[in-house]
Amino acid sequence: MPTLDLEKIKKEIIDSQLWRSVFRGGVWKDTPRDRAGHIIGNVWLHLHPVKVRPRALEWLYTWGMGGISFALYLILTLTGVALMFYYRPTIGLAYRDIKDLEFAVTLGMFLRNAHRWAAQAMVVAVIAHMVRVFLTGAYKKPREFNWGIGVLLLTLTLFLSFTGYLLPWDQLAIWAVTVGTNMAGATPVLGNEGPLGSLMGMRINNDVRFTLLGGTMVGENTLLRFYVMHCVAVPLVVGILLILHFWRIRKDSFSAAPYVANEEKVDVWPHLVKREYIAAAATVIFIMIWSILQDAPLEAIANPNVTTNPSKAPWYFVGLQELLVYFDPWIAGVVMPGLIVVGLIAIPYIDTNPKGVGYYAWKERPFANTMFMLGVVMWFALIYIGYALRGPNYAWYWPWESWFLNKPAPPPTWSVFGPKGVGAYSMLIGIPLLGAVGAAWMLLPKLIQKELDGKKLMGGFLGLLALFAAVGMAMGRMNATQAGFLLFLVGASFYYGFVLPQRHIRTLDWPRYLVTMVLVTSTMSILLKMCASLAFDIKYVLTIPALSMNF
Amino acid sequence: MSYRKAFIASNALMLAAFVWAFAKDFNAEWKPYQKQYYQMAADEMEKQAAAEKDEKKAAELKAEARKMRRTPLEIKQIIANDLGRFDRCVTCHVGMDEYTNTTLKNSFTEHPYKAHPKVDTALIKAHPFSKFGCTSCHSGQGLATQVDAAHGWVKHWEKPMLKGATIQGSCVKCHDNFETLKGAEIAAEGKKLFNKHGCQGCHAINGVGGVVSVELGDIADKPFERIAGYNFKKIRIDGKELPNEHHNNHWNLQNWIRAHLVNDPAAVTPNDPFAHYNAEPIPPSGMPDFREELSAEGAEAITTYLSGLTKEEIIPYRYHVTAAKAREPQLTGAANGKRVYEKYGCQGCHGLDAKQGRRRFNAAGEGQKEYDEKL
Repeated sequence: MPTLDLEKIKKEIIDSQLWRSVFRGGVWKDTPRDRAGHIIGNVWLHLHPVKVRPRALEWLYTWGMGGISFALYLILTLTGVALMFYYRPTIGLAYRDIKDLEFAVTLGMFLRNAHRWAAQAMVVAVIAHMVRVFLTGAYKKPREFNWGIGVLLLTLTLFLSFTGYLLPWDQLAIWAVTVGTNMAGATPVLGNEGPLGSLMGMRINNDVRFTLLGGTMVGENTLLRFYVMHCVAVPLVVGILLILHFWRIRKDSFSAAPYVANEEKVDVWPHLVKREYIAAAATVIFIMIWSILQDAPLEAIANPNVTTNPSKAPWYFVGLQELLVYFDPWIAGVVMPGLIVVGLIAIPYIDTNPKGVGYYAWKERPFANTMFMLGVVMWFALIYIGYALRGPNYAWYWPWESWFLNKPAPPPTWSVFGPKGVGAYSMLIGIPLLGAVGAAWMLLPKLIQKELDGKKLMGGFLGLLALFAAVGMAMGRMNATQAGFLLFLVGASFYYGFVLPQRHIRTLDWPRYLVTMVLVTSTMSILLKMCASLAFDIKYVLTIPALSMNF
Repeated sequence: MSYRKAFIASNALMLAAFVWAFAKDFNAEWKPYQKQYYQMAADEMEKQAAAEKDEKKAAELKAEARKMRRTPLEIKQIIANDLGRFDRCVTCHVGMDEYTNTTLKNSFTEHPYKAHPKVDTALIKAHPFSKFGCTSCHSGQGLATQVDAAHGWVKHWEKPMLKGATIQGSCVKCHDNFETLKGAEIAAEGKKLFNKHGCQGCHAINGVGGVVSVELGDIADKPFERIAGYNFKKIRIDGKELPNEHHNNHWNLQNWIRAHLVNDPAAVTPNDPFAHYNAEPIPPSGMPDFREELSAEGAEAITTYLSGLTKEEIIPYRYHVTAAKAREPQLTGAANGKRVYEKYGCQGCHGLDAKQGRRRFNAAGEGQKEYDEKL
């Protein structure tokens, strides 16, 4: 009886011309050469280096968020292409096609859910990836450029999600996109409602918003434009940037610092690849189960004549929408997001601290970590306020309050320097006064050469504020809530905007110092304006009607 | 857990999740109904076969029944292109599908199996299903294949299935002067009552009537966003609060219209100085209280009539049927005055027969004092 020699059969198969023509390399012997060859000989795996530092394998170091973001991008590409077979981007058919997906297409609802939820998850994953990269100092030399690419990829992720939001053509879509694109109309110079816009001849039918919408309101052209951007243009750009992003990680080498000097690197195959597989599989399972259990929302068909109340932007932009309560659209919708993107890209070039590359370093990078995390927390806090605490007429509703509850109309607002405040020409006082305060705030931390005692400084400032509040309360001009707002928000602004910069960045060179302070003070201006607006009903601190500029 | 185990477990889980998703998709809500229909229809045929004396015919019937039992399940739909209707109702209501049930008749008595009633009447003969679909008359969500969604009892579907007599409102969409139309008696009664009680004095319909309050020519298109959902809590139908179960089954446009006739309108739309849902303050409704004059049936009739007044639905001109307009009587003197008084809806505020004017509009009129005292 002839025995079945499996090893021999296996060897014959692997050595056959067919097998060898498809797969490079012969029988697997698990030698270092084999492992390296497995990475080098495979076009996809070749995105990895052959060896990495052991720290790069730590889940607590990487959080796996970069890989998970890419896995979500792949899920989105696959489900998106499948959805394209069923979807026609015209206002007569789009909504019906979504209904068809929901009710008639095999696995249609599942596909749509997976696409929707993966998109939401990707926004979160990309932000988490950025936070991890920041906290481990991975953007520092020589990886500044790749951090910039990453910021662009984050922006494009949000834009992809935003363009996709319109495609179901329901009430949710049309009004979220209306909110989002109306901000573009407030762009300075390029938007018809922005400062200097009318000077440049911007009208509703030739400004940047018009370009985005292909019309003066969200309509057929907008749907087609958003469809093409969502399915073709932006994914293409994202793909190109992703290649660049991956290639630079490979070339600049992964950021993880060695545990010990001269430590030996480990093979990517199988140590890193198996972790990546598990992360990707867990992502797929997570998205699948989420898609089975919860259906994507679909409201009534889009109707430009019926505005939903409240109308909210997609959740990741609701934070910016919440800023609209405190600032004019050109600041909330254009300047602030612009500063966020530019500021993020600038971070590697203004952060000269050489420490903390490739590991978590709270003690070694107190200023950078504190300010960055403050920004992230504020971003999500504003999203929470806008998403969960704003009801009809964008009034403030606590989570336990029913939206059926009647809210009294908000008290009338006033402006400090302007026609509705001190007087019609009070900007002649307001501009130099606020300019002087701003300049002092910007310059003083550096001009005071020696480090001040933070505790004394903070105590003194809070004491002054408390005195002010006490006088106000004694005069009956201020109540306890207002005093609380004043102490908390203005105190916090002083701590993060003055005490910390004074302690940590006064030694920076002037250009870097000034850029940093612009970012710091504009972040603090949000807290200060929230205090002014929520507690004291101040609409603007300074209005210049002639230029349609209000602050 | 080692990575090898995690690898195996994650693959198994992915497969399981996919099987779960597929099973959920495969076990669609409509399938048991369709399957049950085929079984019931086959049972019926076999019963006929047993009673049949001609053996050849009996064998044929038996074969037919066998075939019926094995019919593959599928989504069925009626495409009424002219009216923009794609109605999948016949997926469950198989008895109303002309291809499965060619006679459109059967002996079943329960929904969704039973056949459409009155298929032999001129009404149905004039409105073949293949041309009109289902939702052009019944409303509801034709594209849906789940029970609640298809009948419109879900959030965000604002045209739930019309219940009871209100379906006659659909006749109004195409039949322009329908006063004498057979089958639309309740809608015609509604129109009569609308004019009798002088509603047109304040509410114009397609430009005919007063401009005191909103035009009702497109009242059927009123979006729920403008009804301001919380007001449903304030209305009472038959003295009871409307339940909010099965979205839109109770909180719908028909009940909103009806509410104005069976409640004090000022209770339906009270004073809202802070304008909860709108940009400007809302005064209390100035509409007179009609509870004294209108019966529940009268309110139902007016609701029926008004729920057919749509502009959103685009109906091709060749679907419109215009009957001759009723001639106005030629009168003189006081009789003519009465005609003019009623034609222009003066009685809406000044009372039927110019008596019992409402809201002190007719302080000198007969019976006004008693009316005021009652208030």
